[in-house]
Amino acid sequence: MHVYEVFIKKDGRDEFRHVGALEAANDDLALVLARESYLRRAEGDRMWVVRRDHVVAAADDFVEPNADKPHRHHDGAAVAARRKAARQSQG
Amino acid sequence: MARSWSTMEDFEAFLDGGGLVEVDDDMPQPYRQAVFSFIEMHANSELMGGLTERDWIPKTPGLRHKMAVLAKTQDEIGHGHLLYMVAADLGVKTRAQMLEDLFAGRSRFHNVFHYRAVTWGDQVAIAFLVDAAALISQQAVFKNCSYGPYKRILLRIIAEEGFHMRLGEDRMMRIAEGTGPQRRMFQESLDRWFWPALQLFGPDSKPDDVLLRWHIKSERNEVLRDRWVQKFVPMLQSYGFTIPAPELSYDAEARRWDVGPIDWEPLERTLAQGGPDSARRIREAADNWSRTSWVRAAMSNGTAA
Repeated sequence: MHVYEVFIKKDGRDEFRHVGALEAANDDLALVLARESYLRRAEGDRMWVVRRDHVVAAADDFVEPNADKPHRHHDGAAVAARRKAARQSQG
Repeated sequence: MARSWSTMEDFEAFLDGGGLVEVDDDMPQPYRQAVFSFIEMHANSELMGGLTERDWIPKTPGLRHKMAVLAKTQDEIGHGHLLYMVAADLGVKTRAQMLEDLFAGRSRFHNVFHYRAVTWGDQVAIAFLVDAAALISQQAVFKNCSYGPYKRILLRIIAEEGFHMRLGEDRMMRIAEGTGPQRRMFQESLDRWFWPALQLFGPDSKPDDVLLRWHIKSERNEVLRDRWVQKFVPMLQSYGFTIPAPELSYDAEARRWDVGPIDWEPLERTLAQGGPDSARRIREAADNWSRTSWVRAAMSNGTAA
């Protein structure tokens, strides 16, 4: 038996969303169980099942450095203050 | 990202700040055990409830209601599946071990499934009063639950329990508008099920309840029980039924119902698997599991029993 992760999506809405997991012997049975466990009331129009041991997961220390890249953001505060001052002086 | 906490104080501060724990986080062992036991009991209760529901498929009157009971049975068993998966991922017990413990009478499930549903009226009372009690408890857990995978799976379970409760109220309404014998049948069911349903919430929460401290539950048992009483006592009365509580009183000023003293002994008996129907229920569930082993064998390429 394998553990499968289940993802569903409503057309025209959202990205694929992880909804849970299940155990199944093979891909075909995983699809049947996923439909009967997670889509009984048409909660999605599309469905993926992925074997958990096929998911390539990043290690924490691989992801972590990108939490500290302030140069990739710009909050625009200085420019906004300059624009506001300009509007007021025209005012 | 897997996280860890160096002290219990740090972990509790994380929980108090609304933090959500994920399955691969290095959570303290007592928290892992507490959240596991809570989910295991919920899973067991869904499975036992689904089996009760299934017993009524052939006896349910009318095709429309029979189809609804089929759907509800599938929902309850489905909830069991989802919850056993979330519980197994915590690594305390495998799914097989949880089922083995349930069928050996070693683990707990909700008190209401230790009683026998004798008449169709009982089944309606369960669908309405018990599903409503379960829904109130689950909503309170969902609102502030610190264990992410459980919180997310509760969202869909709650949506489906809402269907079940409305179905139960719809059936009760039909009985209330029915004949004298039908109304008497439901009154007898209410007499049997009112107290077990109320006791589903459990006795008052202890001041040091870790389930509350770790935000696994968000509200005290007595608060949830009172919410159920305030809603369902007047509703049952509005349908013309009598609440089987001799000391029932109403405080007109506070606009509150009080059901009087609660005898907790029946609840304690069910917790020790000594309820009126515990032995039969557990035996039936175990027999059902062995009778259906061929389905599991077929679904697992013949590799599992």
